[in-house]
Amino acid sequence: MTNVDAREAASALSDIEQIVRRVRQSRIYDLASQIMIMSGVLVFAGNLANWTWPRYGGYVWLSVNVLNVVGCAVISMFGYQRTGVRAFDGRMLAAFLLFFAFGIFCSSVLGHFTPRQMGAFWPIYFMLFYILAGLWFGGAFVAIGLGITVLTLIGYFFVGGFAFLLWMAVVNGGGLILGGLWMRRG
Amino acid sequence: MAELDDIIHQPLRLRIMAALNALSPAAAGLEFSRLKKLTGATDGNLGAHIETLAKAGYVAVDKAFVGRKPQTTVTATAAGRGAFARHVATLQEIIAASARQA
Repeated sequence: MTNVDAREAASALSDIEQIVRRVRQSRIYDLASQIMIMSGVLVFAGNLANWTWPRYGGYVWLSVNVLNVVGCAVISMFGYQRTGVRAFDGRMLAAFLLFFAFGIFCSSVLGHFTPRQMGAFWPIYFMLFYILAGLWFGGAFVAIGLGITVLTLIGYFFVGGFAFLLWMAVVNGGGLILGGLWMRRG
Repeated sequence: MAELDDIIHQPLRLRIMAALNALSPAAAGLEFSRLKKLTGATDGNLGAHIETLAKAGYVAVDKAFVGRKPQTTVTATAAGRGAFARHVATLQEIIAASARQA
């Protein structure tokens, strides 16, 4: 029989707590990285499509966002089989709808953003939620969110004309893909 | 007072059980490489302690090929989850008893 004193027992419990925290964070990073890589590919393709067919930008981004939400649901469904954690449910769908409704309200009702302003607003708006999520789920979200926000603003102020869309394909689409791969290694 | 579980109490085995127990029972378990990263153990050390836990019936080890790569997945069994819960309860009892005496 093993005998331990209160100090050793407290140390063992603290060890357990630390491991549990790391497992939870690793599961969150695992799921988030898959979603990030998928979003990155969609955003990259969306910017290229918008650059190729500028007149159809509205349809392009509507399709990208619908595919993004569907993709999140599919990844979450497969993730549930592996992890037993349901990440996408009715509440998450409601959160997405509120997120888009508020974004549209700000950019098209309260303000009338130009396509260029839209191109900067939506990525920054998305990244704000990454940064907020990072306050609870880990610093990687904050780093990725801040990095893409800063690069988006640099492009908005210094990259002229339609080249801005190519810039965004690289920094937003590519940034999410790289961020997702980085999280997978973590 | 309940007794501590000698098999689980060893520090690395405690970490292995804590990691596996943190997953939902419906989850598929943890891959060996992930477990190694989470516990900070070496390959040989981790393998030996998983074997001890498997012999006690606390974990199940599943070896399969994913593509061409061999993948070992470790899952806590119902007996393992029960033993771990009792072990944690005993640790908490020890702390509570010490606080009462103080």
